[in-house]
Amino acid sequence: MRLQGHAGRIAALTVVGTAIVLPLVIFVLGPNMPPGHRTTGASSQVNDNTVLLVVMTPFTVFILAYLAYAIFAFRAAAGEELRDGPPIRGHMPSQIAWLVVTSAAVLFLAIFGTAELFASNGAGGGEGPKPIAKPSGPVLPVQVIGQQWEFTFRYPTYGGVETAELVLPVNRQIEFHVTSLDVIHSFWAYELGVKADANPGVDNVAYVKATKTGDFQIRCAELCGLWHGYMFDTGHVVDAAQFDTWIAGERKQFTPVEKYLPRYSVTYSPDPQVRAG
Amino acid sequence: MNFRRLLGYNLLTAFVLGIVGFYVGWWLGHQFSGPSIAYFADTGQNDIALFLAYLVGLIGFLSGLGFASYPIQRLLGKPPSLREKETAGTGRYFTLCTDHKVVGMQYLIGIGAFIFVGGLNAMLIRFELLSPTKQTFNANNYLTIVGLHGTMMMGMMTSGILGPFANYFLPIMIGARRMAFPRIEALTFWLLMVAGVILMTTVGYGGFPTGWTGYAPLNDQANMGMDSYIVFFALVGLSMSLLGLNMIATVVTMRAPGMAWGRLPIFVWSVIATSVLMLLAAPVLISTLLMVALDRTAQTGFFNAQAGGSPYLYQNLFWIFGHPEVYILALPGMGILLEILPVFARKPLWGYRLAVTGMLGISLLSWLVWQHHLFVSGINADLRPFYMLSTELISLPTGFIFICALGTLWQGRIRFTVPMLFALAWLFNFLIGGLSGVFLSDVPSDVTTHGSFFSMAHFHYTIMGGLLFSFFAAIYFWVPKMTGYAINERFGKIHFWTMFIAFNSTFGPLLVIGFLGMPRRAVTYAGYLHGGNTWVSISAFFLGGSMLVFVGNFVWSQVFARVPVGANPWASKSIEWQLPSPVPVHNFDRIPTFGADPYPYGDGDGAGDSTAPRVVTAPARPRP
Amino acid sequence: MTELADHSTDYGVVAAEPPEVMARNLRIGAHLWASASAFFFAAFLFAYFYLRALDSTAVWRPKHVDPSLTLGTLAAVSLVAAAVLLRFAVADHRADRLNAWRFKGAIVLALLLAGVVLQIVEWSTQSFGPTDGPYASVYLGWTGLLSLFVVGLLYWVETTLATSFRYRNTRRGAPVPAGHASGDGDRSDPDIENPLSLIRSELEAVSFYATFLSGIGIVTWFVLYVL
Repeated sequence: MRLQGHAGRIAALTVVGTAIVLPLVIFVLGPNMPPGHRTTGASSQVNDNTVLLVVMTPFTVFILAYLAYAIFAFRAAAGEELRDGPPIRGHMPSQIAWLVVTSAAVLFLAIFGTAELFASNGAGGGEGPKPIAKPSGPVLPVQVIGQQWEFTFRYPTYGGVETAELVLPVNRQIEFHVTSLDVIHSFWAYELGVKADANPGVDNVAYVKATKTGDFQIRCAELCGLWHGYMFDTGHVVDAAQFDTWIAGERKQFTPVEKYLPRYSVTYSPDPQVRAG
Repeated sequence: MNFRRLLGYNLLTAFVLGIVGFYVGWWLGHQFSGPSIAYFADTGQNDIALFLAYLVGLIGFLSGLGFASYPIQRLLGKPPSLREKETAGTGRYFTLCTDHKVVGMQYLIGIGAFIFVGGLNAMLIRFELLSPTKQTFNANNYLTIVGLHGTMMMGMMTSGILGPFANYFLPIMIGARRMAFPRIEALTFWLLMVAGVILMTTVGYGGFPTGWTGYAPLNDQANMGMDSYIVFFALVGLSMSLLGLNMIATVVTMRAPGMAWGRLPIFVWSVIATSVLMLLAAPVLISTLLMVALDRTAQTGFFNAQAGGSPYLYQNLFWIFGHPEVYILALPGMGILLEILPVFARKPLWGYRLAVTGMLGISLLSWLVWQHHLFVSGINADLRPFYMLSTELISLPTGFIFICALGTLWQGRIRFTVPMLFALAWLFNFLIGGLSGVFLSDVPSDVTTHGSFFSMAHFHYTIMGGLLFSFFAAIYFWVPKMTGYAINERFGKIHFWTMFIAFNSTFGPLLVIGFLGMPRRAVTYAGYLHGGNTWVSISAFFLGGSMLVFVGNFVWSQVFARVPVGANPWASKSIEWQLPSPVPVHNFDRIPTFGADPYPYGDGDGAGDSTAPRVVTAPARPRP
Repeated sequence: MTELADHSTDYGVVAAEPPEVMARNLRIGAHLWASASAFFFAAFLFAYFYLRALDSTAVWRPKHVDPSLTLGTLAAVSLVAAAVLLRFAVADHRADRLNAWRFKGAIVLALLLAGVVLQIVEWSTQSFGPTDGPYASVYLGWTGLLSLFVVGLLYWVETTLATSFRYRNTRRGAPVPAGHASGDGDRSDPDIENPLSLIRSELEAVSFYATFLSGIGIVTWFVLYVL
């Protein structure tokens, strides 16, 4: 095909640009997209990010190529600044083509996102008290309780033991139950690819399965008042044996104070609110 | 000095009555007592008193400006009138004036001043974030600064383009001499100014810790400074709603003969699309804030989970308003873009109907997407696919705007004037803003990006990169018409390039930093983000510096240098450029008749270098 | 300076706009403000059904939270009656029965005032306060907002009535005497050609809005008292 005229050159720029950028996106940028590959949820997010980038690339390259081309090719020649351009008021075929192409991309993204959401058990996002995207098979429930300004954690299958740090076993499906005692917080375990808002009186469930051991950061991602900026912590993903040892130790420490704590429940109703800060 | 002139309806009277009213309200609020509000005595936190103080102060201020006079005269049966103080002279800019061009100028300077305050807050935020742990301001001050920045910008910029430019140019563009409701037009401006001052007084009451979203139940827990936020946003909402009403009514009823709907300049269409959202979304905000105020004063339980309410209710209501709100910010920018491109490409707008469809489509779709702000909140998780789809559908009408802009450039004869540079930068910035938005609309991707600096950088790309760039485009394009004096082109270009580069150097890295795990509104951050944040802060200071270039250039050009421009410095064919600069008080000697398309470029004899508007004809004789 | 306008042209060219322009503005303005009003109450409707469906702590509406149906119905009826009467008043004005319209207008004022007073009586005699659960919250917020709107309507009707009353002896179509137009003290000439002819448009606009608001009143009554 012989490329000629402005349209041909812009098309060529777009094709060449896409051909250069797309492999970079698929093989270099995509696999290294945040939040990494340490959990199933995080991996599916990386997949999503990669697919989004791939779909966006041709559009972006086209628009930028067009703009760059227009800036050089369509600049007014000296002395002709006030000459009018051709009175083109539209071009139905290209309008329809644009509509069809963008609609196809949008529908693809929406369908793909939905499929990915269900396939990845919610991709680590909070799904409310009755999750519809959930894993089959056994889960380890872990409760995350946000309060101004720290997170505490309870393990209902281990006698409702309450701990100040979050330790998770590797390769087990975790079921986070996120709730709050006061204002809205958001439990964000960055490397795990988990984010779920902690609402008072609401049990917000999120699923994740860690595939690698190591530390991860926990941050509050919803403005929760004065010390919001200090509401962070480090969690640990450990192997099964280490986890068993750790939880046994926590239970031993926990037993004497057990009677002072409320029984495990999906939500808690604290004392009437007092004004703080 | 004639001291007699200080008496009567003017800004001085307004300030005096405003302050008196404030303390009257404050005193009045302290007369209430009752078992459920007994805690006031213990904490000194009297929300009722502060609400009443703001309210009575507002009434006092507006009465001092002369707003009370007309309603009282109507109450006494005087017949309606339209105009007040539509005279010449500088004094009209400082009081109630119903000339739409004066209101436009008032908006430009007034909003500009508050945006400057908001921008200074941004500088303070970036100053704080130079270090991951060391605190320059304490935690409470930092949150107040963040909240002030966000609230000021989101509140003021809603009218950032409609206020100055639609008020000034919309009547001219449709061939009218005034807006439909001139007194309401003036009221919207002064409400906004009072609101801005009220928001700043929050500093005296301990600030507010909620950011611009004001989430419950934090807003219930917060100190009295929260009341400033509530009153501010309620007044902004009222101002927006009335502004929208006025704009729509003007376009529907005040069009000149021949100005059919299909001949409206595209900027007018963007104003319509925006105004519909303003008119209908702002009332939801006002009602929501009324509920918050009741929660804080009468101890109702709308948003209090322990009392049977729900914080989710606030999130829902806020975003039912809040998402239309962000398109209220974006749509006028699109109008400016498509209005400026034809002039400097010297071509008709490409795909006029498609652009109109795009704007109205955005306006409609923006009502259906609000829960994408709540993807990880646990609300209606089973509706997430729907909101994902509806959110991504918005990229279709947004795509229309892009294709129309690109089509307009096609085979054009582009002149790289300052407004054109800003318009082209809009395309680049909004492209990045739109693309980053796709990540946020996709639920799995949103899990990480939600509530992070990524989403913050995303909406700065659309609002600052979109709205503020088009705001400056409009300033460079239209202010010479409004004042009659040119803005220095060389410094304009310096401003553009420093702003464009610094802007991208600030918010581009912020997209990355957010993706790497930095939450919004946090005063501390992880050590590995230090380098990136330092880079961003320094870029942000350059961005702030570029604003100083603008302010210096603007003041120098408009106050000191004062190089007159002719009626039509850009050789535009739109009607506003066929009038003298500045536009006379009465706009048109005779109401014009419109004959055709608003962008008659290249329709001529082939030589095509005419700047004369062939489509506008004045009727043969004045109306009897 | 240009063919369309000139700085030296006298400002007088804009004086005395034909009243039809303002009449159209009033009509469209009433419709637009009605749509905005709907969204004010939509927020409360949303809150009502959201909290009712949620009923998170089973305190949606304790037994003693029971506003008086009689008073509520009376308040709603007075609002609806005012709107209906205003329609008849418009018909009277169209048929040039000006005294009849003024009489009906006065009754409309009384009815609207009665509605607000009934609401205040209701608030002060009811058996619950704002802290008694979500229903009580919605009830108070909603009725309070509606009362504000009714007061606004009251004001609007009053201005129309007062203008009509003040110029009851002026011949139809006669210009308003100098200095009688409200607004700018510096300007004695009316800026609308014969602003008195606007009374009918204003009446039609306020009647439309009153009908609309009475619709909201019926919804309020149904949701808060019946449902």
